[in-house]
Amino acid sequence: MSQVLETPVIISAESGNNLKTVPSWMTYIPAILAIGGSFALLFIRLNVGGARFISDGALMMLALAAYLIAAVFHLTNLYAPFRLAEKLGMWAATLGVFFNLSSWLLRWVAAYDRELAIFNSQGTSAADMPWVFRYVPFANLYDLSLAFAFGAGITTLLVMRRQHFRAVAALSLPLASIILVLARFIGSELIDLPPVLDSYWRPIHVGIASMSYGIALVCFAVAVLYLLKDGLQVEKMAIWTSAFSLAVFCTVSKFSVFSPLTFGTYTASTFLGTSRMSLPLRADIPFVGWLIFLSAALLIAASIGYGLFISKDDANARKWGSRFLYGALALQAAGIAMLVYQIKTIGTVVSQISTTQYAKFGAWMLQQQEMPQQQINALGEAQLVSMASKWVAENGSQLHLSLNANPVELAALITAFTGTFFVVLFGFNTEKIRAFLPSADRLDGLMYKLAGVTFAGLALLLITGAVWANESWGRYWGWDAKEVGALVAWLTYAGFLHSRIAYGWRGRRSAFFAVVAFLFVIFTYLGVSYLLPGLHSYA
Amino acid sequence: MSTVEEFVTKGASDPSTKAKQGESILNRLLKLLCSVRLGVTLLVLLGLACLTGMLIMQQNVDGFARYFAELTPAQQIVYGKLGFFDIYHVWYFNILLAVLSMNIVLASIDRFPKTWLFVSKPNVSVPIRWLREQKQTAELEFSGTTKGTVESLSAAMKGQGWRSVKTTEKAGRTFILGQKGVWNRLGAYAVHVGLLTIFTGGFLTAQFGSTGQMPLAPGQSTNLMFETEVNLDKAEQITKRLPFEVACTDMQQKLIKKEGSITAMNTIDWITRFTITDETGTHEAHVQMNHPFDYRGYRFFQASFIPTGRARNVTINATPAGGGDVQQLTIARDGSAVMKDGTTVKLSEFRGNFSIGKEDPNENTSEYPNPAAVLEVVQPGSPGQTAYAFGPKLADIPIAKKPVGGYTFQLADYEKVADQHILSVQRDPGTTVVYVGFVLLFLALVAVFFFSHQRVWAAVDPAQEGRVNVVLGGNTNRSVNAFDETFKKFVGGLDARPSSLPLNPQG
Repeated sequence: MSQVLETPVIISAESGNNLKTVPSWMTYIPAILAIGGSFALLFIRLNVGGARFISDGALMMLALAAYLIAAVFHLTNLYAPFRLAEKLGMWAATLGVFFNLSSWLLRWVAAYDRELAIFNSQGTSAADMPWVFRYVPFANLYDLSLAFAFGAGITTLLVMRRQHFRAVAALSLPLASIILVLARFIGSELIDLPPVLDSYWRPIHVGIASMSYGIALVCFAVAVLYLLKDGLQVEKMAIWTSAFSLAVFCTVSKFSVFSPLTFGTYTASTFLGTSRMSLPLRADIPFVGWLIFLSAALLIAASIGYGLFISKDDANARKWGSRFLYGALALQAAGIAMLVYQIKTIGTVVSQISTTQYAKFGAWMLQQQEMPQQQINALGEAQLVSMASKWVAENGSQLHLSLNANPVELAALITAFTGTFFVVLFGFNTEKIRAFLPSADRLDGLMYKLAGVTFAGLALLLITGAVWANESWGRYWGWDAKEVGALVAWLTYAGFLHSRIAYGWRGRRSAFFAVVAFLFVIFTYLGVSYLLPGLHSYA
Repeated sequence: MSTVEEFVTKGASDPSTKAKQGESILNRLLKLLCSVRLGVTLLVLLGLACLTGMLIMQQNVDGFARYFAELTPAQQIVYGKLGFFDIYHVWYFNILLAVLSMNIVLASIDRFPKTWLFVSKPNVSVPIRWLREQKQTAELEFSGTTKGTVESLSAAMKGQGWRSVKTTEKAGRTFILGQKGVWNRLGAYAVHVGLLTIFTGGFLTAQFGSTGQMPLAPGQSTNLMFETEVNLDKAEQITKRLPFEVACTDMQQKLIKKEGSITAMNTIDWITRFTITDETGTHEAHVQMNHPFDYRGYRFFQASFIPTGRARNVTINATPAGGGDVQQLTIARDGSAVMKDGTTVKLSEFRGNFSIGKEDPNENTSEYPNPAAVLEVVQPGSPGQTAYAFGPKLADIPIAKKPVGGYTFQLADYEKVADQHILSVQRDPGTTVVYVGFVLLFLALVAVFFFSHQRVWAAVDPAQEGRVNVVLGGNTNRSVNAFDETFKKFVGGLDARPSSLPLNPQG
């Protein structure tokens, strides 16, 4: 460097401000603290024992609270950027991830302790105790949801390493909260592990699933923010979320709210005694059906208003659209509140159960007893009804309602509400939010990166699933509904990546692809377990 | 994943699809088959077919008969004709996969030569205008000589991690290209090679694989397996012969709660021990849950079991009718024991729910309500007699108290096991190929998404009065945000100042 100059160094103005950032390892501190703290808590739990220690369920509720608090800080920060709020949001998110992972780790110990007690009572020698990986908490949808929320939380923390991306948390953390609320509705009881799941592939396969799903969730959040930043009208978003809400309203409660015979009735499944199995005897929940119907009407009205505004630029239509949307938001909230209130307070359930379900219930009971379908069909409807009424007369007093009896429906209603909530929120001061968000280019880059990682993760999910299936059943691919669901999500991300080459799609159209792909991820995660039969029916 | 050099074909992102007028149909078809657009369309179609298969229950799924019965006749006919009940094996699905494979191959062949240029002939000299169009670009002024500037820039690029540095001179101007991760451009091809390998394996499985069920119980021996072929709501069994004989020696079920049933939920593990005999001799084997056994290309798995309550072994108390010491005998499932006086006791049958007469084969006795052992007692020199040994619940019925061969028998203990374990037997020549494809696919995906091809150019003008003008520009094929920061850091770290000279406009 002998030729170097007499003149002092001058740096171009553009590059200057980025140089004084903190060392890059420091940006990992929140993630390291959250993970390290959880393992420290696990260590303490192992040494102290479970009797007087905080339960995994309590930790999950703390995680939910921390995520929601963090989300509030980040949301207020969108409107009134404020250094302290951003910092508090960051640390609340860190705390949430800590609680979330701790809950999951403690569940592992709890599952071990539970079976250890059974073995001890049997006099089984410690040598016969299965290895500790049998108890990795990936046994049912509750465990998967807990890990899914953690995947989303830790990805958010890592994305937040870059200060300009901290706004992503405003959207990704509420979504992670919904996943935890769903988990709460599913219920945290430990289950007996079906033997086929007792394989070391389970933690690998399901662990990859939860991380990939979590990254996909953050990718979705980035895609939505991109659309907002890119200038997609909030009115258009409102039409989309309204369509989503309407789809939810139509499908919950076994399509009963909008079918002609049961119009305006919302029903909820029941439990019998201490059993955790949702019975297909559904109790009418007063008022909820009508609240849902009214919010649906307002959502349609809002969509029409916004549609007129978009096509004819009619400012008046927009004003009315917004009014309808606010009304729908209030009614959606009221519907959920009413549902929860009624489920908690209705005492005698039998009087709420419509006898029109009896024939189907009778057939269902026989199916549970594994009677061949031909024999069931041969019975007359009157016979099935009388069987069912006899059963209800005997067992009716033990029937009760529970938030845990309809986890997916409740979570879907809450998700629909959240969708409306966010478009209402985005409708206020949209330009201010847009100005606060990072540049469209940056969001696009982040979205691409997250989609790429999700794509690789889903590929690994499919691969490990195939290897495990081959070890257990001797076939690596069987076109099982859950396999296919993951494949469809993977194909959609493949479409996302290829459309960038084939059509040069960047930005907005790419973002739509990322949104659709995430919907398929959710369909795989929930829809298959709750709607479709198949091998993955346990989770 | 842009594999096309940007300044060569700006605008036309997928040039191969643009058909020119007057081209032959064959040529157009070839171009269509080479295009990524067709690939995206096929992906969408494949996704739709898969969704159909998810929403409409497939005929090989348990409970299909019930589902089928609940459909309307119109649905049954229309879905059936369209192949929706077995969509993953219907002809158009196979064609879809075949066309997709062909599209991957042809599109790769079409695009590879251009991508290979990144590796074989990196563009060191580039148009200045194009450099200025890059998102990351800068114009700087160095002091000193051209040579010195080129050397210090090259060193700075290497220091920044762009380790492969090339220089060239063109029209008096010196160009420097620093790059890293050029092989990342090839990653996309490796991904597709992996995918095609998996497809090939799948094809081998479909063509040459076979699978069947083999029910086994101790003492039984067979060389047959049964395959179920489903066609709508009718199931048909096909028998296949194996090139060796399988003889079951022992079956065991490790239960969680010993007093519980032998259902799957109360079981930690199933173990089936058997021998395989062929021309090479007799071989020991055992199969556990999630622990298959391999032999001559065949793989044995635990698939299911018949939940009729049986005993792996029984412990029998033999009480002499005339009084005396109780003898305890332990008898294996198909075994026998000899008492002190030479009497042989064989376990001929064990029932979980005892009743007089023949056992109902459909009865579920997994709960063991009334366990009983049926014994054959053979005294030396006389024919065998049947005796019964009951658990405490039935100990007082008359038949339990009737002495046989001078003894009454009581069932003291027994180890629960199912009636039969049903092993699944699989021969799959495609698995290895599929696994190779998996490894390739995963490694390639990591290589693609966690690395990038970064390039930085410097166009160095000849020195004028001790000052050297340099235009910098760079791009990356992935991780744009990270590259932007690196580039800024690189420019910031250079010993130079913003250019003040009007740059030579040529180029």
